[in-house]
Amino acid sequence: MTHQNPETSTQTLEQLLECLPALKNEATQAGLADLLDKLAPLLQGRRLHNIVDLLAATSDVIEMTDDAMLQKLMALYEESIGGVWMLTNALRYASAQAAANSTPPTLWQSVKKFNQNEDARRGLDVVSNILAELGRQSAIKGQKMPED
Amino acid sequence: MIKTIIVVGGGIGGTMTANNLVSKLYAEISRGEVRVLLISNSPWHYYKPAFMYVAFGAFYKEELRRHQASLLRPEIDFVLDQVDNFEFKQSRLRMRSGATYDYDYLVVSTGCIPSPERIEGLQEAGDHFYQHDPARKLYEKISTIEKGRIFIGVTFPKTPNVPHQCGIAPMETTLMLDEFLRKRGVRDQIEIVYTYPTISQLVRNCLFLQKQTGEVLPSVFDSKGIIHKRSFTLASVDPERKVAISEEGEEENFDILIQTPPIRAVDAVLNSGVSQAPNNEGWLPTDRYSLQLEGFENVFVMGDTVDLPISKAGGSCHNQSPVICNNIAGLMRWGKTVAEYDGKVQAVAQMGMDVGMPLWYDYDVDVIPTPATKIGGLMRKGFNRGVYWSVARGLV
Repeated sequence: MTHQNPETSTQTLEQLLECLPALKNEATQAGLADLLDKLAPLLQGRRLHNIVDLLAATSDVIEMTDDAMLQKLMALYEESIGGVWMLTNALRYASAQAAANSTPPTLWQSVKKFNQNEDARRGLDVVSNILAELGRQSAIKGQKMPED
Repeated sequence: MIKTIIVVGGGIGGTMTANNLVSKLYAEISRGEVRVLLISNSPWHYYKPAFMYVAFGAFYKEELRRHQASLLRPEIDFVLDQVDNFEFKQSRLRMRSGATYDYDYLVVSTGCIPSPERIEGLQEAGDHFYQHDPARKLYEKISTIEKGRIFIGVTFPKTPNVPHQCGIAPMETTLMLDEFLRKRGVRDQIEIVYTYPTISQLVRNCLFLQKQTGEVLPSVFDSKGIIHKRSFTLASVDPERKVAISEEGEEENFDILIQTPPIRAVDAVLNSGVSQAPNNEGWLPTDRYSLQLEGFENVFVMGDTVDLPISKAGGSCHNQSPVICNNIAGLMRWGKTVAEYDGKVQAVAQMGMDVGMPLWYDYDVDVIPTPATKIGGLMRKGFNRGVYWSVARGLV
């Protein structure tokens, strides 16, 4: 590994900077000076390294993201957002309907409504199926597993 | 008396607007003073920009559609029927089923229809990617061609300063095609020729409908060996000789002709008799700021159906929808419109199979082209695969 003379390397840097027209702009120079003031403590304490590492890690993730990964991530996004949206819609709509009645229905009226409303019965079926699935998964978790 | 707002069209414009109207007018809706109907002639909602990817074998039909009703808030009444006649003077819709609907406010978001039959020979010999089945057919061709010439062209509406469907799509597909054929290992044996017509909105003899973008395209195409040609306005196609004939008097041979076809408004809009567009294209005369149908304060027009110089694409609807919702709320609550559309459109252009370029423009400022990036590509793919459905639900 060769070590350059610091004076030569500074001169080379100066020459390099001379080649960049943007750096001859006074506003650019003032902005860079401000930025260096802010960066100096981070550089001196080696803390800027973490930010560079973070950028490198982010860049690595971008490089590694392929079509298959993206499709899975977006499917997760859509299922989550779509699911929450459906539930909040149902809650808001049902609450508004309930609030619109000055007197809530009697228990008998509620049962009658259930009986007459196909969607309500289907909703109850969905809840029943969810409970059954939760039960099935609980049963699997509770199973005693044989040793390998 | 309950006020009725009807949105016609189950595309992205109509769907997001119906959802946004419920958000905007929720106070009135929950008091039973307003109801919102969405009328569509299909039980499915299609993510139409994905048809372009179907042409490259990158999207299945099942991935690009959802049940229309599943994208609507429960406060919206979904009607599966087709409008046969818009009776704007009577504020009434006549339906294919025989039903009629009276409205207090109407949003027309009925899109446009690709019409290759309007150019002689194009239906028989040309291909495009603006609908699912033609895109599948195109995929079969470009995934099997071994050598020859793929000729790409663009047809603009005859209505002055009105663009074709999704302005950036021909450029996107040209770049995707180049990459697709390279991956197949046949690019060296296939010539790609990108052409643009003499008149494209306000520019002349260019490669794109906006001058600044048109000026950077030659270097992009040259770097990929794509031949580019200005001033080729398709007049007719000879299917037997496989030749495209231009209004400028030239003939170009092809093995595959990918032509952005003529477009027109849907039949019910054409039949309304309100359009002043030439060539029976049917674009509705729309106030460029309030988005009201000229002469009808209670009717709003959006998306592909307008006669404005703005991209016929979802990125336009996304910015028109809040303006229309605000203006309907303004008319109902204050007796006047309150919002103005500034012509803003935004999108992420697919500049190859994996890279993208975010872009935006409005009535006054054109797109400023920037280098395509992988992050841009991920943004576009993320939108295609998930964010779009949040946009349709009015969440983004």
